[in-house]
Amino acid sequence: MASIASACRLSARVAGRQLRQHGSARAFHPAPASLAAHNFTMPALSPTMTEGNIASWKVKEGDSFSAGDVLLEIETDKAQMDVEAQDDGKLAKITQGDGTKGIQVGSRIAVTAEPDDDLSSLEIPPEEKPAAAPKKESKEPSASKPKAESAPPVKEQKASPPAPSSSKSSESAPQAQAQKQKYPLYPSVAALLKENGLAKEDADTIPSTGPGGRLLKGDVLAYLGAIEKSYPLEQSKRIEKLSHLDLSNIKIAPPKKDAAREKPAAAPEAVEELDTEIAVPISLTAVLECQKRIKDSVGIFLPISTFIARAAELANDGLPRSKTAKPSADELFNAVLGLDKVSGPSVSRGHFVPQVTALPPVSLKTSKPAPRKGKSDILDILAGKKSVPRSVSTPITSGGKGVVAPVNVFSVSVPKGDERRAQVFLERVKVVLEAEPGRLIL
Amino acid sequence: MFRAMVPRAAPRSLLRPVGGAQSSIRPSAFYVLDRSRRGYATEAEEKDLVVIGGGVAGYVAAIKAGQAGLKVTCIEKRGALGGTCLNVGCIPSKSLLNNSHMYHSILHDTKNRGIDVGDVKLNLAQMMKAKETSVSGLTKGIEFLFKKNNVEYIKGTGAFTDEHTIAVNLLDGGETSVKGKNIIIATGSEATPFPGLTIDEEKIITSTGAIALQKVPKKMVVIGGGIIGLEMGSVWSRLGSEVTVVEFLGQIGGPGMDNEIAKLTQKLLTKQGMKFKLNTKVMGGDDSGETVKINVEAAKGGKEELLDADVVLVAIGRRPYTAGLNFEKIGLEADDKGRLVIDQEFRTKIPHIRVIGDCTFGPMLAHKAEEEGVAVAEFITKGYGHVNYGAIPSVMYSHPEVAWVGQNEQELKAADVKYKSGSFPFSANSRAKTNLDTEGIVKFLADAETDRILGVHIVGPNAGEMIAEATLALEYGASCEDVARTSHAHPTLSEAFKEAAMATYDKAIHY
Repeated sequence: MASIASACRLSARVAGRQLRQHGSARAFHPAPASLAAHNFTMPALSPTMTEGNIASWKVKEGDSFSAGDVLLEIETDKAQMDVEAQDDGKLAKITQGDGTKGIQVGSRIAVTAEPDDDLSSLEIPPEEKPAAAPKKESKEPSASKPKAESAPPVKEQKASPPAPSSSKSSESAPQAQAQKQKYPLYPSVAALLKENGLAKEDADTIPSTGPGGRLLKGDVLAYLGAIEKSYPLEQSKRIEKLSHLDLSNIKIAPPKKDAAREKPAAAPEAVEELDTEIAVPISLTAVLECQKRIKDSVGIFLPISTFIARAAELANDGLPRSKTAKPSADELFNAVLGLDKVSGPSVSRGHFVPQVTALPPVSLKTSKPAPRKGKSDILDILAGKKSVPRSVSTPITSGGKGVVAPVNVFSVSVPKGDERRAQVFLERVKVVLEAEPGRLIL
Repeated sequence: MFRAMVPRAAPRSLLRPVGGAQSSIRPSAFYVLDRSRRGYATEAEEKDLVVIGGGVAGYVAAIKAGQAGLKVTCIEKRGALGGTCLNVGCIPSKSLLNNSHMYHSILHDTKNRGIDVGDVKLNLAQMMKAKETSVSGLTKGIEFLFKKNNVEYIKGTGAFTDEHTIAVNLLDGGETSVKGKNIIIATGSEATPFPGLTIDEEKIITSTGAIALQKVPKKMVVIGGGIIGLEMGSVWSRLGSEVTVVEFLGQIGGPGMDNEIAKLTQKLLTKQGMKFKLNTKVMGGDDSGETVKINVEAAKGGKEELLDADVVLVAIGRRPYTAGLNFEKIGLEADDKGRLVIDQEFRTKIPHIRVIGDCTFGPMLAHKAEEEGVAVAEFITKGYGHVNYGAIPSVMYSHPEVAWVGQNEQELKAADVKYKSGSFPFSANSRAKTNLDTEGIVKFLADAETDRILGVHIVGPNAGEMIAEATLALEYGASCEDVARTSHAHPTLSEAFKEAAMATYDKAIHY
């Protein structure tokens, strides 16, 4: 159980320092109950910091805190810094009060719990000895380590069941992180490393403060102790601040007198980018007649699909360009120079395949309407369409108008911008099929 | 073969008896009929992005968004793309600066170089024509880029009718309206007028009039010693005007220019014949007569003076231009200087409306607007964009040019940063020597502890090009040593840059 517990701990996102210690602590502590409470140890504010003083606690025993809250202020001989909480939690006990001096990095200064833990039934875990490195986890804490804080575990009842703790109250001070340097080292960095007998690999262990975690000359100087350790990070933060627009202290101008704020209309719902379907009703009467004539005269039965395919083939020729089609650079230059008007309208071959759906006659009584002839039919239909008020709510009336007889709806689905192209295509199909289908098979 | 082209579903419905097919009718068949009818309507579809303003900020955002596959419309009222920069700002002024410089050197300089030129005459009309050719070529180029990237271009004046809709008063007459899921306001800026002086662009002019004067004025007074005033002052000074620059502050070049650099620049420009009146307040003017009379007085109170000029250039800065946009109607806010209020991702209170360029915060620079145009399009398409306001260069195209990036000495002092300064004069640079163009210095400001470059300030030939290297160094957090250890070709002016870096962290070789 303990090993599972420690595994859970290890997988949790905790600051490196804390991480090392949890594993070892679990090894000594058999009770799973203590999972909810954690030792909070003295953080290192810089890579070289070994001890520090607690200036003051900003959170009282028993108080909850959330990620980002300042827990306490730590001072070293060089600087004073706030320690922020990285996760939500509760301060169960402060073991090193305000003003305590010379606390070794890694020794316990407080006990924290999950935000919803009951402190009265919480078992305070024993002090964990600071371990030097993860490798030494299983070993006994060495004698050279600072003397353990002697506060005994507070006598408590059995603690609440272990919280499934994925978030740990791990806290750390602002501090630059070392990271693997993926780019060639800066010339100054490479030179400094060489001059000081450091290997290229050492660059990956130096905390870096440059843009995108790049290792800067200042970082190496700080690592070597030539300058203040915390300085490169402070400098980075100052420069980082300059890289943003200063939007503080904006003085809003008073609204103009006449600009009475009308309540803005509700934002219209965003129209989804669907393909548009273009449809035209086409009578196949002429085709059927033609089919019958051929059957009677030649004895060959031509399926209607053949007529349609050939009509589509014809109609696909020389369609107006799609609005979304990318013109070539030449065409664009011509357009800018105004030459496009000279060369005539641009056309291109389409690849439409009509979808055919049967449509019932408006009236069942008109079982056998007269076959339509000539172009006038289309004009009628087009005119009829235009006269119908544009409305989505009356599709049946508008759809039915102008459709008289055994008619099929020919439709093509096109992306936005291609509507005109599809319209022309379908109208051509219509002309061919309704007017002179016989020519299709000649 | 033809059969293969027909979808499999088609024959099925074809073979169905026509009369008895009611049951299989999909209601959508009727609906789509109606949809097809909508194709005739004039109502515009909703765009992914509508950009108000076709200036540098707006057209770059439009093109970038178009490249990302958005349906973009750009509204521009000028009738030509490119905004102030391209039409009446950076570009035409650079044409005049370059050509007036050539005229000036032929007049005064070529003789020393062994070139005797006969009768030199200024043909101002031709010089203006050359300028117009450059400008129209470039604006046409943007129109081409719009077509290439599927950006719809509407010539007209836009005004908000609601959060998503912009009514456009077309230049050719008539009206239309555009709807956009996202809207970018990039309406730019205009010259701030001087209280008490009426701009007529003939006698009392802004930068717009200064690039289009019909004849060289005998006397010119420039109110404001910032970059625009000094550049336009340079042009007319070279062409023969007697130019006096009146500046309220104690230094020229505006607030960004380093003190030391400003002093050096002033010295060089004075040598070229420009006159400066610093710490001087303009009290008022009178343009009723043949010439304009300008009353000036020492800023801290003191003696008055009357300046007489044929032309007065008002160059005291620019202010956001949002007239007629009707942004108040939809609840957007501007600050006391008229800048539209945004957050770090350029969003206004209404998150799908963003503002970039001169009409919002930050320096009023074309390349800043361009950066923002790219960043805002990326915020819309990818959720993240990048502009580093700490590394935006400034260039003044006088001769010699002045350029800087990062912080200057007075800013570092105010921020209490310990810094080192190192400089290298062009007079010690071999290429500058051979060019007989040796005025100016390169000056580095670096952190005293870490050697990180904090600012670079250059006066000298080609400073505007050289500042790119400094900007890159800042962007990467480089130290002076990094620059100094990087090879620079010989003999070039850029060696001065390297030597200045050496001088900052160690010692220069050639000085």
